[in-house]
Amino acid sequence: MDYKKFVKNVLKTGRSHLLEPEAYHVCGEFGIACPQFRLVANVEEGINAAKSIGFPVVIKVVSSQIIHKTDAGGVVTGIQSGEQFKNAYETMLKNVRNKVPGAEINGVIVQKSMPQGVEVAVGGLRDSQFGPVVMFGAGGILIEVLQDVSFRLAQLDREEALRQIKETKIYKILQGVRQNQPCDIEALADLIIHTGKLLEEIPEIYELDFNPVLAYPDQCLAVDARVILVS
Amino acid sequence: MRVASQVTKGSLSGVFNARSIAIVGASPRPGRLGNQIVRNAKAMDFDGQIYPVNPTQTTIEGLKCYKNILDIPGRLDLVVLIVGADECVHIVREIARRWDEKGDVAGIVVVSAGFSEGGSAKGLAKEKAMLEPLQARGIRVIGPNCLGIADQYSGVNTTFDLPPYLKGGVSVVSQSGAFAASFLMWAKDLELFGLSKFLTVGNMADVDMDEVVEFLGEDENTKVIAVYMEGIRQGRRFIEVASKVSQTKPIVVFKSGRTAFGSGAVRSHTGAVAGNDKIYDGAFRQAGIIRAATVAEFYHTICALSKQPLPRGKRICVLTGIGGPGTICIDALLATGVVEMACLSDHTKTHLKEILAHTAAVDEPQGYVDMTASVTEELHEEVIKTVLADEGVDGLIYLITPPAFFSDEKLVEHILKAYNSFSKEKRKPLLNVFTFGSHVAELRRLFERGGIPTLEFPDVAASVMANMVWHSEWRKSRLDYGL
Repeated sequence: MDYKKFVKNVLKTGRSHLLEPEAYHVCGEFGIACPQFRLVANVEEGINAAKSIGFPVVIKVVSSQIIHKTDAGGVVTGIQSGEQFKNAYETMLKNVRNKVPGAEINGVIVQKSMPQGVEVAVGGLRDSQFGPVVMFGAGGILIEVLQDVSFRLAQLDREEALRQIKETKIYKILQGVRQNQPCDIEALADLIIHTGKLLEEIPEIYELDFNPVLAYPDQCLAVDARVILVS
Repeated sequence: MRVASQVTKGSLSGVFNARSIAIVGASPRPGRLGNQIVRNAKAMDFDGQIYPVNPTQTTIEGLKCYKNILDIPGRLDLVVLIVGADECVHIVREIARRWDEKGDVAGIVVVSAGFSEGGSAKGLAKEKAMLEPLQARGIRVIGPNCLGIADQYSGVNTTFDLPPYLKGGVSVVSQSGAFAASFLMWAKDLELFGLSKFLTVGNMADVDMDEVVEFLGEDENTKVIAVYMEGIRQGRRFIEVASKVSQTKPIVVFKSGRTAFGSGAVRSHTGAVAGNDKIYDGAFRQAGIIRAATVAEFYHTICALSKQPLPRGKRICVLTGIGGPGTICIDALLATGVVEMACLSDHTKTHLKEILAHTAAVDEPQGYVDMTASVTEELHEEVIKTVLADEGVDGLIYLITPPAFFSDEKLVEHILKAYNSFSKEKRKPLLNVFTFGSHVAELRRLFERGGIPTLEFPDVAASVMANMVWHSEWRKSRLDYGL
């Protein structure tokens, strides 16, 4: 896939953000990893996908009108079986149609449910004075409450990305507190560097974030991706 | 006539090293801005020419007065404008004519206001009209709406509120004339620092912060760059320039206008938490710029950096005869998260215990020495020498309320002797805290003249030391990566 052309084409259709599966594909080109997933069009496809990925799975609605999926009732986690899947799928779509009437539904993502990790966030934006900048910080809902984040101008080297990570409070948790093993900090530094490259190479990207990113002792995975384009 | 097709911007050096200055709007009446600027220019150690310009006068402050710019004989390097905005627009045309005929004027300082700063279309148009003939000829413009420039080495001074100043290694660049002047006047009586160059940028119609910092980076008289900023136009370029300069000269910034949140219209988490200030914060850190959190920290960090070497490590010793302020200092040091307490060697500990009173606390808690009040001026020399010689000490903060029975001269003599017993390469930063403030003004001046910074507050001293450590660590990390 020519990702540059692809992003331009999305803009041409009048849409100013990438759908989640599109975002994974583009980000994947830059070495940014996400959990295994499939895009499905109906329950049967979904159950097959879940079986091949392996339960438990998460399902998420994909719609060009919906950026905040959770607010729209468009996410169900921890689905353990085909039967649970069928109920979850139908309930989710019903909720979405109630909350966002008329939303065009492009499909549903079936994604492998990941074990618990340290939730961080990595993002980037184009600042009017500084150009492309990257962010790292505590993820999940903590990002808005604690604002434990630090910024750097892209592009940056590994040393600088590590310094950026070390400026946050969540760094202490990433180093392993009590019995917890330390997380793969180098992988997080890579993710920051890759995010910087993404902004540098695709000028159409205005803002993006991976939140949460799950940090593990041997890797880190972006379990959600939001990419906003310059409209 | 000169052809202005291939314009190269003049260097700021032509402005700071002007040998002749015209002051347009000079006034014979004391108390007027146009009079004070002439007086200040004259008061400097400046052996060039000063030309007051005022069509209604023949002499001002004993200097021959000229009717206009074109009448000034010989070479003219710098023009100061203190007339109204409309008149400025008119006078720059004369300057342009002069340049076309003689090719001299290197730059102008526009003190006058009434341009883009008010945000009106009229003001903006005037600024453009004033700028156009000058930029077409590569003539540099400082301001408008600024205090102007001063250089203690060349003797140029275009300001109305800066008297001649002690020479030194600090250069000040500011978006606020009042802030910059306050910093200088605050430090003046106690001689807390010496000045190299001073520049307030005003509306930055032509000369911008990044260019000034780049210029100061190469100025041999500048050792530390102090920057007050409210906002910058070319953030990325500023940071690129600063990261180069920071490798050899510390840049200390006070940035006002902290805003907690960016626009509510953003759609990503990153956008929502970004806010302008956090990006500035990250960018400054990336470039090794020391960002001071308070005005006191800004002032004293600059003073300290202009006199003392950077610490080679992060282990700091607190030496005192006064328990309370000593404890405040340790609390503040450790709260920075940047420094560690010193690891005194067994030899140091044994020796200090031998020479100090038995009630003295040596390395209790770690890196802390309380000499108690039973200590003489002479003993200070041996204690400070011992502590500074210790491999486990990278910097020293000394706090005292000098007792009335101490002789100022003797205390200074012994502490300086201890400090100067080390060769330049082996010196470590030493900050003195005299909690009696200006009550011990003479003592502080003696230390300042000897190159040892003096402060009033133990917590400010801690932040200053932490800033020095942080900057030093940044520089080391850049060197490690060959950047």
